Amino acid sequence: MNLRKSAALGAVLVLALAACSSNDDSPSATGSSATKGEKVNLTYVNWDGGMDKVVDEWNKLNPDIQVKLSKPSGTGYTLYNKLITNNKAGTNPDITEVEYQALPALIANQVVVPIDDYVKGLDTKYDKASLSQVQFEGKTYGVPQNVCPMVFFYRKDVFDKLGLKAPTTWAEYATVAAAIHKADPKKYIGNFTAADPGWFAGLAQQAGANWWKADGDTWSVAINDEASKKVANYWDDLIKKGLVSPQPNWSAQWNTDMNNGTIVGWVGAQWGPNQLPSIAKDTAGKWAAAPLPAWTAGDTAVGIWGGETEAVTANSKHPAEAAKFVEWMNSSDAGMDSLIKNVQVFPASPQGQALPALKTPPPFMSTQPDYNTLMATAAKGVRTFDIWGPNANVTFDSYSNAFGAALQKKTALSGALDTMQEATISDMKKLGFQVAG
Amino acid sequence: MSGPRTATAASKSRSRGGLLPVALVTPAVVLLLLFTIAPAIYAIFLSFRRMKVGKGLLGGGKPTEVWAGISNYTSTLSDSEFWASLGRMLLIAAFGVPLTVILSTLFALCLDAKRARLVGFARLAIFLPYAVPGVVASLLWGFMYLPATSPIGGDVVNYFGTKGIFFSVANVAVWGVVGFNMVILYTAVRSLPKELFEAAELDGATEFQIAVRVKLPMIAPAVAMVALFSVIGSLQLFNEPTTLKPLANAISSTWVPLMRVYTDAFVNNSIYEGAATSFVLIAMTVAATVLVSAVGRRIARRSTR
Repeated sequence: MNLRKSAALGAVLVLALAACSSNDDSPSATGSSATKGEKVNLTYVNWDGGMDKVVDEWNKLNPDIQVKLSKPSGTGYTLYNKLITNNKAGTNPDITEVEYQALPALIANQVVVPIDDYVKGLDTKYDKASLSQVQFEGKTYGVPQNVCPMVFFYRKDVFDKLGLKAPTTWAEYATVAAAIHKADPKKYIGNFTAADPGWFAGLAQQAGANWWKADGDTWSVAINDEASKKVANYWDDLIKKGLVSPQPNWSAQWNTDMNNGTIVGWVGAQWGPNQLPSIAKDTAGKWAAAPLPAWTAGDTAVGIWGGETEAVTANSKHPAEAAKFVEWMNSSDAGMDSLIKNVQVFPASPQGQALPALKTPPPFMSTQPDYNTLMATAAKGVRTFDIWGPNANVTFDSYSNAFGAALQKKTALSGALDTMQEATISDMKKLGFQVAG
Repeated sequence: MSGPRTATAASKSRSRGGLLPVALVTPAVVLLLLFTIAPAIYAIFLSFRRMKVGKGLLGGGKPTEVWAGISNYTSTLSDSEFWASLGRMLLIAAFGVPLTVILSTLFALCLDAKRARLVGFARLAIFLPYAVPGVVASLLWGFMYLPATSPIGGDVVNYFGTKGIFFSVANVAVWGVVGFNMVILYTAVRSLPKELFEAAELDGATEFQIAVRVKLPMIAPAVAMVALFSVIGSLQLFNEPTTLKPLANAISSTWVPLMRVYTDAFVNNSIYEGAATSFVLIAMTVAATVLVSAVGRRIARRSTR
């Protein structure tokens, strides 16, 4: 009896192992290159809400090139580092979303491929600032999807009640912050977040910082430059005076504070209304957007926070078809129209910025009909870094640690910038990049 | 334990031909080789390598893996942040381990007491936190710690303060494992012969005296094992601080050694340094295990004598 049992157990095991291994034949194994008339299946990974509807539209229009969307288990660098790891095993999806600041890292790790052979004429459709986010060393790695100028969101109802107006300069921001805090010591105009390196980078861009520069094959890094320190010192002052909250974004604490009116402003970016429903659902219709406060009155320069493109991976067996999808999504009227309606994207392409879909504001900002006009104006003043570094992931991780520690220990925020500079340069040198200085 | 019985079972199966035990053990051995030993060997290999990008601004050539010698190890061991993370881990272990051992022993002895009521319910209630996955537990406690959502006075007590954070993390970890350890100790107490307690009672020992003078020494080996589990558990501290990290500024991405391994490997994309750090950790874990089990054995031997 025992023997029979163990034989049965063995059979089960063999079956289980067979079941495991049969999982391996992924759709990409069906054919190495697409011949005419053959159906191509592509896989696409993206975390944005509403993206499924955009993909559905493509699938309806292109029965021969079917795209399957999947959500990654983690967003941002969790996804990118998974892509870098999977690249070796050859298991990456055909297409992935990439935020602009992560693209150089994916290129340096050979995760994504140039699409110049498949997508033509981008130079005529986009301005230089947008193209500089996707073109490196004369090659194009994606079609720019959106531009995310930073703006200032505020609770119009609260500001009106206190007789306050949205600040137009950072000096005014400090004054308004004090007025709000004085009227109700529990209320804050906003928070300084150690959880969002992209947020601080955007503010530094506005102040004139240029964290990375490329000269030939040599990098120079200036994360702790004067402009960035000016931004750090400004917020340091507000935190020390207790006028802004030091709580990080995206925590339960911040969500609650944003929802119940403890925090009545948010230095955010164009995509804010897409996120606000899950942060502060009870406050729909109470927010308004205003231009980001400037350092000197009348200056229209703003930084960007976020923004992304879609890239074709080195693992893809159908790069031509994948590039076609990327081009449709980000530079055709139908694709951009769908992105605006379903994902509330503000397109990078001037042609897309003229689409009628932008005449209606995002649902969360229903009380501000000119929301997208404001974004278009802000987009004209966008000022970014020359280039994102090839290890922005290390810089960003270092930001969270160094600024988190500075807030915790109440030491000078500008010191955190020195830590970031050091961490970034030493990692670049270790990887073998040429660094000046 | 039941030494003679296992011996006869073994000899019986041996007489029936050695095939069955081999077949039964094979899956476990294969799995161990495939998913523990083989990756470990690969990790040792990786820890002596590093990545070098190609020429050009973005490393236009293919990035290549090159021999790194012991540079990954020296950079870990010479990094003050590594030692700081080790210090934080030890500090949490300094609360966590004794607290776990004391609480689980206390609960086990209380449950076994003659006067204990609602034993089944109490046992389940104490064990339940162990059934809650670590990440869920940390999230749940995170909500309790944050001032905006705290039902336990988060607006008065700063649970994420520079000192408070150690207590907060240790609390989540202890809350999660006390139940499991209590079950081990409770089982040990229940398996003791009842005649002993009756004899002690006849001799006039109180319930408390029986618990401390009779039961406790007899379950000493089990207590030592629980201590060992707790020590190993605290070396592997990762879930709790990682889940609490986005909630507050107090926890960095290299707060405890395992978080550093994770950050090296999956955030900074240097699996090589991550592999080296984890080997340093493995060495420390083995050393701690040997030490704790040696001390535990000595204590157990003395108390049963």
